[in-house]
Amino acid sequence: MSATSYISSGLIEAYVSGLASSSEREELELAMAQYPEVAAEYQSCQQDMEQYIIYQSVTPPATLKERLFTQLDTEETARANGTYVDEDAIPETPVRKVLVSSAWRWIAAAAILLLIGSVLLNYNQYTKYNGLQQRFEAMAASNSSIASETNVYRTKLEQAEQNLHIVQDPSMKTVKMPGTKTFPTALATVYWNQTSKEVFVMVNNLPQPTSDKQYQLWAIVNGKPVDMGVFETGTDANLMQKMKSVDNAEMFAVTLEKKGGSPEPTLDQMYVAGKI
Amino acid sequence: MESAFTYTESELIQGLKAKDQKVFSYLYDRYSPALYGVALKVLNDESNASDCLQEVFMKIWRNIDRYDESKGRLFTWMLNITRNTAIDTLRSKAHKMDQKIQDIGDDVHLYTGNLAVHPSVDHLGLSKVLEKLTKEQRIIIDLAYYKGCTQEEISRVLEIPLGTVKTRMRNAIIQLRNLLKLV
Repeated sequence: MSATSYISSGLIEAYVSGLASSSEREELELAMAQYPEVAAEYQSCQQDMEQYIIYQSVTPPATLKERLFTQLDTEETARANGTYVDEDAIPETPVRKVLVSSAWRWIAAAAILLLIGSVLLNYNQYTKYNGLQQRFEAMAASNSSIASETNVYRTKLEQAEQNLHIVQDPSMKTVKMPGTKTFPTALATVYWNQTSKEVFVMVNNLPQPTSDKQYQLWAIVNGKPVDMGVFETGTDANLMQKMKSVDNAEMFAVTLEKKGGSPEPTLDQMYVAGKI
Repeated sequence: MESAFTYTESELIQGLKAKDQKVFSYLYDRYSPALYGVALKVLNDESNASDCLQEVFMKIWRNIDRYDESKGRLFTWMLNITRNTAIDTLRSKAHKMDQKIQDIGDDVHLYTGNLAVHPSVDHLGLSKVLEKLTKEQRIIIDLAYYKGCTQEEISRVLEIPLGTVKTRMRNAIIQLRNLLKLV
């Protein structure tokens, strides 16, 4: 910028009126060092501004001078005694005072940044930890359910193996019991070991009874029914259930009885029967 | 007034730097009305302005060694101390923006009634100057000088665009300077 454009820019008037920002003051100070015309114009403007200020003079209260010199005397005495503490330093330009040294500002800024960083990191870690905890719990739960399922399968397998042993025994006799006229689709099978006399029953197809009833197996010995015990049906029941043993029998039959069985069969509730 | 000051200024400075209380007493008699006028315009309260002026003269007494003649005249240096001290007091008293405006609106003529009886003060001169300045020109100068308002604050108070504050200030001061030539 040329000297004349500095003079017409309004910078001088802004400076003199106290309006200029610190960067504007610096700019004008550089221009005054460079151009004597700018410096001269500033001087002239400054003096006119001061004249305006002087026009607004007011005589201070008469007692003020006395007060001032009392304070001055006190302070000078203290200074002479070495007890004076310098209270202030004057800011020559209206720059706001820096209350905290820049080093401490940087340290404070760094500390705040570290704190923010730490909080973010903590939050992040906590979220991750929560996620992992949930996944761990889910996996532990599924693991234990797999283990219990495995137990169920192992038990079923063992049962199946036992059943296979029973059936494979060469002295085992199979007695098929088809449905009676009343229940034509029913079917059950008796496995009777001729050597050990053990009896097993296998349900092929019997309707699920109400909870107060159970099926009961009978052996017909010398024309008379002999109780062989009650047995379970449904998916939870063993495929082959061990019943009471019998030495001789002409026939086996199943009736539906009250829970726990009856001493005599209820003949109209005979579901299946099979001759040896 | 100017010629008298330039003649005595270097003696004044030497005397102050030597901590001569007689010179300081002379300085007070000579300059306290102008500086008190500034404090009073800034603070708009005689008691606060008196406290402020006492503080200002103590600062001048204590800090005269920091005054650098090559950077400006002694009066300019003292004016700056006065203005800064008074504006700091104003800010510490938490005056609000609207309070500043209120003060300026009210006090333009408030203290013209009891102007100092002082050879350097021309009562008619001030009246002539104030009459010929528009109200806006007076207010823009006073807001900046006596209330320490920034360009942003002046833009808000006078409801003028920020970019035109400096131009308005320049025009106001040019008008002021022209009027001073006529006095």
